[in-house]
Amino acid sequence: MQGMEVETRFITLPSRKKADWRGYLSTKLNEIRSGQIDINCQDWPFSCRDLKQLISIIDRAGLKISIIRSEIPETIVSAAALGHETFLILTKGHKESPNRALTDLRVNKDPNILFHEGTLRSGEHLEAEGDVLLLGDVNPGAKISAGGNVMIWGRLRGIAHAGKYGDQTAKITALELRPLQLRIANEVARGPEELPEPGLTEQAELVSGKIVIQPARSRLSSPKRPN
Amino acid sequence: MAINTRIILICSGKGGVGKTTLTANLGIALARQGVKTAVLDADFGLRNLDLLLGLENRIVYTAQEVLEESCRLDQALVKHKQEPNLSLLPAGNPRMLEWLKPDDMQRIVSMLSEQFDYVLIDCPAGVEDGFKNAVSASKEAIVVTNPEVSAVRDADRVIGLLNTHGVKPVQLVLNRVRPQMIASQEMLSIDDVTDILALPLLGLVLEDEQVIISTNRGEPLTLSGSNSPAARCYTNIARRMQGEEIPLIDPSKEGSGVGSKLRRLMQTKIF
Ligand SMILES: Nc1ncnc2c1ncn2[C@@H]1O[C@H](COP(=O)(O)OP(=O)(O)O)[C@@H](O)[C@H]1O
Ligand SMILES: [Mg+2]
Repeated sequence: MQGMEVETRFITLPSRKKADWRGYLSTKLNEIRSGQIDINCQDWPFSCRDLKQLISIIDRAGLKISIIRSEIPETIVSAAALGHETFLILTKGHKESPNRALTDLRVNKDPNILFHEGTLRSGEHLEAEGDVLLLGDVNPGAKISAGGNVMIWGRLRGIAHAGKYGDQTAKITALELRPLQLRIANEVARGPEELPEPGLTEQAELVSGKIVIQPARSRLSSPKRPN
Repeated sequence: MAINTRIILICSGKGGVGKTTLTANLGIALARQGVKTAVLDADFGLRNLDLLLGLENRIVYTAQEVLEESCRLDQALVKHKQEPNLSLLPAGNPRMLEWLKPDDMQRIVSMLSEQFDYVLIDCPAGVEDGFKNAVSASKEAIVVTNPEVSAVRDADRVIGLLNTHGVKPVQLVLNRVRPQMIASQEMLSIDDVTDILALPLLGLVLEDEQVIISTNRGEPLTLSGSNSPAARCYTNIARRMQGEEIPLIDPSKEGSGVGSKLRRLMQTKIF
């Protein structure tokens, strides 16, 4: 098998204003026998759970995903958290004001997710009641905290606190996890001394009362994936 | 009235990183390039821009009298003898800090921008009122920092505040770069700094004892046409501000003294 070129097939999900993605994806997959899938999720805001569903549909068709593209940062973070290569499609809205005020923008009309675009600099603190999704870095001296999960499509080098009201299932995910300090619910941990492996999304969560950091990749429970 | 006046805040957060030195040297360098430049000392608490420019003994009025309307702007402006394109508007009494408001700062700066192509504002350290007043009157900013963790942290804080005030563009000057210390990894590298601050790098300024000597004389390095390492850096920065494309110096090729030059030669032979 070595050296054989795997053909790439492109799938673009319909916009969520037009049709549901599940039916469309199943029909599309019936037409594809082999190859790897380059999938564009357009404007679908996928949580990790949605994405796992999508991935398992593709898995069952005997196919693999090469890259997940999306216009929605939440989808990108979820995909990166599941260990997939990602590509953020910049739409006009993204470019206009990279430094908009902290609470201006919410995706998904879901009040439980606060979305912020732009790097948090020293002295800044982004707080969310529910989940928070940051498209940018958390610099040393900056802090991000949430009642729910903290997801960072960028580098975490400051302080992050997930589950600040006591939710012990809350997680912290970042493309690069090099925090000064991590907190989940009431637990506190200093950041690890060693640098993370580049290009590996990492996740911190509570395991029997201790904060542990693992590559988000290893949490994917698909037996078909290599490594 | 000059509509295109560039009003540039020179700030850092941390004190002692080289804001005033940069303001003085850029002021002179820009003036030498033929553009009308005003430098405004907004560090009312610790004024020393006049000292660095060697103009201390020629001050009659200050920004304070201009604001109180007890003198005209041109009476308060101190023109530099050798570089008449450069004028200083001196800081008033430190007690100005108690009453100065963003409005006052804006008034002063808008008066200056009627006569000058560049207004460089020497900002006080910190992020309190003095800083906020100066920011409110500025259009763009140069953030000065040193390759040290604490200076970078403070610069980062300042950049965040500049962003929220809509100051744009914000560019970076990395001052007191010591090539040997970077090479031996005893000092943050240029990449380490730009990686965190994520700003366009307007220039590097090498550590140079000539800076200290010239400061004590009240003659900025750029005035004498000196060819010392820092003087070249300052001049390059001024030319980049004017839109010239000048490559950044490579600190690994900047050694002081024969020893390092020899080492470099030997290295190139070995490899
Ligand atoms: N590139 C440099 N090389 C050597 N000394 C420097 C350099 N830049 C600044 N200094 C010195 O650092 C000190 C602080 O500089 P200053 O411009 O007064 O800082 P700030 O205005 O930010 O407080 C001064 O003594 C100055 O001579
Ligand atoms: Mg100063």
